[in-house]
Amino acid sequence: MIRFEGAAKRHPDGTVAVEGLDLEVPAGRTTVLVGPSGCGKTTILRMVNRMVTPTAGRVLLDGADVAGLDAAKLRRGIGYVIQQAGLFPQRRVLDNIATVPYLLGWDRKRARARAAEMLELVGLPPETGRRYPFQLSGGQQQRVGVARALAADPPVLLMDEPFSAVDPVVRAGLQEELLRLQAELHKTVLFVTHDIDEAVRLGDQVVVLRDHGHIAQRADPHTLLTSPADQDVTAFLGPGRGLRGLGLVPATGVELDGLGRADGWELALDAEGRPTGWTGPDGQLQGPAPVFVPARDSLHAALDAAVLSPSGLAVAVDAETGRAVGTVSRAGILGALAAGAAAAGTSTGTSAGTAKVPGGRQP
Amino acid sequence: MTDEPLVRWGWIGSHLAYLRDLTLDHAVIALVPVLIALVIAVPLGLLCTRFPRLYQPVALVFNVVYALPGVAVFVVLIPYTGLATRTTVMIPLTCYALAVLVPATVDGLRAVPEALRQSATAMGYGPWRRLAAVELPAAVSYVVAGLRVAAVSSISLAAVGALIGRGGLGYLFIDGFQRTFPTPIVAGIVLVAALALVTDLALVLALRLLAPWAAHERRATRRQRGATQ
Amino acid sequence: MNWLDWISAFVNDPAHRSGPDSIVHRVGEHLAFTGEALLWASLLAIPAGLLIGYTGRGAFAVTALAGTARALPTLGLVTLAVLLAKISDLTVLIPLVALAAPSLLVAAAEGVRGTDPQVRDAALGTGLTHRQVLFRVCLPAALPTLLAGLRTATVQVIATATVAAYVGLGGLGRYVIDGLATKNYPTTVGGALLVVLLAVGAQLLFAPLIRYSLPPGARAQRRSLTPKESL
Repeated sequence: MIRFEGAAKRHPDGTVAVEGLDLEVPAGRTTVLVGPSGCGKTTILRMVNRMVTPTAGRVLLDGADVAGLDAAKLRRGIGYVIQQAGLFPQRRVLDNIATVPYLLGWDRKRARARAAEMLELVGLPPETGRRYPFQLSGGQQQRVGVARALAADPPVLLMDEPFSAVDPVVRAGLQEELLRLQAELHKTVLFVTHDIDEAVRLGDQVVVLRDHGHIAQRADPHTLLTSPADQDVTAFLGPGRGLRGLGLVPATGVELDGLGRADGWELALDAEGRPTGWTGPDGQLQGPAPVFVPARDSLHAALDAAVLSPSGLAVAVDAETGRAVGTVSRAGILGALAAGAAAAGTSTGTSAGTAKVPGGRQP
Repeated sequence: MTDEPLVRWGWIGSHLAYLRDLTLDHAVIALVPVLIALVIAVPLGLLCTRFPRLYQPVALVFNVVYALPGVAVFVVLIPYTGLATRTTVMIPLTCYALAVLVPATVDGLRAVPEALRQSATAMGYGPWRRLAAVELPAAVSYVVAGLRVAAVSSISLAAVGALIGRGGLGYLFIDGFQRTFPTPIVAGIVLVAALALVTDLALVLALRLLAPWAAHERRATRRQRGATQ
Repeated sequence: MNWLDWISAFVNDPAHRSGPDSIVHRVGEHLAFTGEALLWASLLAIPAGLLIGYTGRGAFAVTALAGTARALPTLGLVTLAVLLAKISDLTVLIPLVALAAPSLLVAAAEGVRGTDPQVRDAALGTGLTHRQVLFRVCLPAALPTLLAGLRTATVQVIATATVAAYVGLGGLGRYVIDGLATKNYPTTVGGALLVVLLAVGAQLLFAPLIRYSLPPGARAQRRSLTPKESL
């Protein structure tokens, strides 16, 4: 667990970056710091690994003041990922990932074996390990950056706008990857971004910052979207809060109807029972049928499928087999919202965590 | 003089061994100083990067050194190191190479992206270790670019040493001029240029082999600039 | 004999006080040659460099040319030029111009090419013609690089003009070469020191010029090379 106790940073020229922050970053969860540029979020992040020394207050890591720890040793135990990846150009990918293990004195063989494991973990093919960073795309470099940060299995991961420099499609993929990794590894992640959607998507806890590191609101994503603390936070969240909130509610609570007909539309299935499309009143087949996976997707994904469907019905499919298990109407999905919202509101984080796995539409 | 051809091939054919010896002597006089300078320049560059306040005076000294005319320095050194000795020619050449290599090293280290510096720091590198293990290799393309300029300049400058009696291939210019015989002069110019060219190519090749990432970096920078058109 | 004796012998030599071999006359000759060579080199190289830098064409040729020029031994060129033509100011001027031109060409091209492409695009987008972009946007931005190139060329020409005395050119090189020929060290050392003074003087003259050609922001940036917090 990381704890900030009145941590402040005043520059020698008198400007104030952070005016005194009290914050708890719970262990094994993802905490996202979000705010406009210049709000001090990066400074806060860097106080943890002593890249910035607070001018007042202190930062505790598992109860120990980081100021009392050896900076290099402390940093080797904290993963750090930044926007430009910062890979060492002169080292091949595998050796880049093995940097901290080497620094910790692991032998070459063990460090490389570990690096190869990490490469696989972040979803890169083994032959990438022999490449130089300049031979990788931006998204691949960022994955290597994450692998490098995780190589020595640090309990804490600091991420400073790690996905801001890649295009939206790649960014979505990287976010998904991070959610998957975190579900597996349970690191204490402190994540900085200026993108509120990213914050809501990734965070178990979201901390909205104003100037000088003042906390405007600290809440789980659902609470943040449904009840912003004040006008400023509302403005920062932007329009469409309600619909975006649907992305946080799991579709597990949706009541499914049978695979029947609706207003003259009939669901067409293949031999395996997988949906192929909707047959209209005129007998024309329109496919493919928009689907969602109740166990994995959010209400947002379910509603999206229903809106796109010619019959107005979203088809629920089994994640493994792809077989249709039921349909649900738009009204049915919104009906599930009341119950779902109540559930997400009472429990923080973990219950919404499953819903945060993005609604992967079937191709 | 009009009846004298630009090149008498017969003279070259009968002086091959002589030309070879002069070329070797020239290579030693010109390139050993560059090597010495490299050995001095890298630590000095690291020092100037670690303590930026040091760089201003160091840069000033080398700016002035670079402005010193070769002949003049040779002459000034004669009372100490003797007429027509290798040392007299090699000391100034070392200084010239330093004047190129120290700024090249410092520029290279300064051009290392901030992101790289920060991620190294965040992974637990101390300042010195980071400079040597992360930043210096990242700056290698700059150092090699400096090395190429230094080596080529040194090879052409060394010829001036002939005026004080020790200039390798430069001797051919004096000889040819005194006898109004252009053949040795032409041979000298061609051999000096060829030696420079071979050295330059060897450095480029060495960079490709030893630091493929840096060879790419330079190409990428050039492409990026070209693409702005 | 020590340095001071040499220098005083050099300065007090009556021949160095007045007449064709006087210090004032030799310095004047040296500066005249240098200026003339630089003028011709600038007229030839700078427009070509600006054009190459702006169009981006022939960049490879420029690099190759600069490399080759650096590799050519000036003493060889000067002696060859004098053997092939007769000794005249023009004969010696050609190698000097050939020496200075590549530095200027590269500096002009690099300076223009180094202009922020976004600034250039924005200028074109606002409706400036290529000529206006080159002279109002690129040239001011290229000025520091160009001046640095001119400084290098000046220093090179001052040094090489000394070598040219070997083939009979006037200027400060006369002291150095004649002194060596007659084993008259005071003369040689005196001449050498004057060349050094001239070169360093030129170097110093350019320093403020280059600094004031930088845009105000860059000037401030240069000054504040303070270490970053993370260092």
